[in-house]
Amino acid sequence: MTDKRSKLRKIIMDTRTLPTLPSVINKLNSLSENEKSSIQEMAKIVSSDQVLSARILRLANSPSYGFYRVSTISNAMILLGVNVVKSLALSSSIFAIMEKDSVGLWEHSLAVGTVANLIARKLGLPECEEIATAGLLHDIGKVIISIKCRDAEKDIVRLVHEKRVYTMEAEREIIDTDHAEVGGWLSKSWFLPDKLSEPIAFHHDVAGSENHRIKTAVVHIADVLICAGGFGNSGETFVPPVQKIAWDTLKLNEQILAELVNEAEDKLVEVKNFCLEMMGD
Amino acid sequence: MQKIPLLHAKAEMTLAKDVFRGNSPVGFPLCGKGTKLTEDLIARFEGMDVKTVYVEGHPVWEEGERSVNDLLHDLDCRFSKTLQNPLNALLYDTYKAYLTNLMEDNSDRQAK
Repeated sequence: MTDKRSKLRKIIMDTRTLPTLPSVINKLNSLSENEKSSIQEMAKIVSSDQVLSARILRLANSPSYGFYRVSTISNAMILLGVNVVKSLALSSSIFAIMEKDSVGLWEHSLAVGTVANLIARKLGLPECEEIATAGLLHDIGKVIISIKCRDAEKDIVRLVHEKRVYTMEAEREIIDTDHAEVGGWLSKSWFLPDKLSEPIAFHHDVAGSENHRIKTAVVHIADVLICAGGFGNSGETFVPPVQKIAWDTLKLNEQILAELVNEAEDKLVEVKNFCLEMMGD
Repeated sequence: MQKIPLLHAKAEMTLAKDVFRGNSPVGFPLCGKGTKLTEDLIARFEGMDVKTVYVEGHPVWEEGERSVNDLLHDLDCRFSKTLQNPLNALLYDTYKAYLTNLMEDNSDRQAK
């Protein structure tokens, strides 16, 4: 790792200036490690933080998961799984920042989560909720760069427009790393499982994902589809190249793609309505 | 076909897909596709937690909604860097076909 990058990693990962983690996380971690603890016990811990519970339930009821009637944390834990609820709890402060300061990125993330879920279900893949969560979280690195490197972020945006390059290329030129790598660092420091951290770290380089390539490929394709449809604003002007390894890993073909585009555009009406309702709250 | 929030549904619109309680994809449909909506039917859907319905054509034109030609122009711009990649070219053709279908839906509506 170059000096610049390792210095930046230290700055970015300085926990004193990272968005605060909910205090219930430690309790939840120790409970989830104990095989004897029940979902009800874990749900009680999360429910004790009302703001956090409300944020988790809002995400659990988003089109990314497609349940719509998740009214309690214990229901969320049963439907989405403890790991997903824990990941939503960990990332809730990042989502709060996105909702407030980067609405376009928030819409893009919700849309990628929704379409990742759609692809996973269409292809009959297991762990659709984890794949949807990876889609929701795939660009958390952009939020961290925006918080920790405000001046550099302005240069990145300028470069993207002036040189007509992808955000990643501009990030590498300005800060010697990119949002996927930063997202990977963050997910490691949060101890997110590999099935979430790999799609986050490798959604622009599917070949780099060794243990969860299928999940990473789904998130990559979902990201490209959302950029192609022009939904939300991830900061990209151009559609990223579809990686052949992702296409081959998922055994996609022209017909599946056409069905996915139709179904995705249909689902995005729900995402749009969901975002409008949230903005109205 | 257009998917619209129930708030925008009006009598005389025709359902393009079956409607289910609470928009759930499972269970028995409340109303079949091809049914002409009435005020009573819309009120009943409201009471059954139906949030969106599919209707034929493109009857709701929301403020700020862009024309299909504008959408096609944006599509060209977004793909201008990666069209030489065969998979991106395929994706471009797929989106173009999707938008062109939308355009046909809209011209049907105008002709009517």
